[in-house]
Amino acid sequence: MIFLTVGTQFPFDRLLKAVDDALAEVSFGEEIFAQTGESSYVPRNFKVTPFIDRGSFDKYISQASSVISHAGMGTIAAVLGYGKPMLVMPRQRKYGEVVNDHQLAIARKLEMSGHILVAYESRDLAGKMNQLKTFIPCERNSQHQAVADRIARFLVEISNKQAAK
Amino acid sequence: MPKCVKICLVASAGGHLTQLLRLESGWNGHSTFCVTTSNVVQEKLQKYRKVHVVGECNRQHLLKVLLVSIRCIRIILKERPDVIISTGAAVGCIMCFLGKVTGAKIVWVDSITNVNKLSLSGRLVWHIADLFLSQWQQLAEQYKNIEYAGKII
Repeated sequence: MIFLTVGTQFPFDRLLKAVDDALAEVSFGEEIFAQTGESSYVPRNFKVTPFIDRGSFDKYISQASSVISHAGMGTIAAVLGYGKPMLVMPRQRKYGEVVNDHQLAIARKLEMSGHILVAYESRDLAGKMNQLKTFIPCERNSQHQAVADRIARFLVEISNKQAAK
Repeated sequence: MPKCVKICLVASAGGHLTQLLRLESGWNGHSTFCVTTSNVVQEKLQKYRKVHVVGECNRQHLLKVLLVSIRCIRIILKERPDVIISTGAAVGCIMCFLGKVTGAKIVWVDSITNVNKLSLSGRLVWHIADLFLSQWQQLAEQYKNIEYAGKII
């Protein structure tokens, strides 16, 4: 199963239609299941559900062979955490999908470092879906502990200053 | 053990909140409460005693910004946090400015998605932050008082 998700906050019909159109041309030999949020596009070639809870979201990712999604950081973090192959389509400002192009910027970076595949435009999607079948993402080492430690040190300074007052 | 401080953790639902929660060990032993934008993420925040949900807003909907700001003012006045820690976005920005007015220290961890430049919220909070972290070294070097401590994801 390929898990397709667009997040919960905004619609993303461009991605749903691109995947649907790609499936009309080529068979990928696998079923697609989609979480579509506020989107209005009704696909012909796969099943959808608007919202799923957190537990099911994690379950779908862990059971999927690969994931296709918007370039939302919540989803990317979850998928990288499971080490699954991932193809993202960034939401773009020029299409009125977001207020700035942060999804485009992070998608480019993670594509360059070999962590994800990216389809910037609808016409790229079918080709990238083909690559996704054999794509093996580079392992990612998060430095979240170093950042947490920096915050902990700052909080010690604050509480020492308060105690000195 | 240093004195425990009261911390307000703020992040919009989605990637901002995912990033914030990865830093949990940073505020171990301190008293915390959360502010977020949607009920959808309540499950993720189960272990926090108190969670305020204020609703989504961004610069395109100024009426919503006003409504959310009023809710945030109420929370600040009621809770009186010593420190605000946020990963964004708009709601984080609002809480940081309101917290600053009431004397709280401000910690801003800019989202990893801000690769080449700060978000609007980040640029605004930069002026008032006591600790400002970017997840990109090159971006941190472009600004005075921005540190790079690593990537959360």
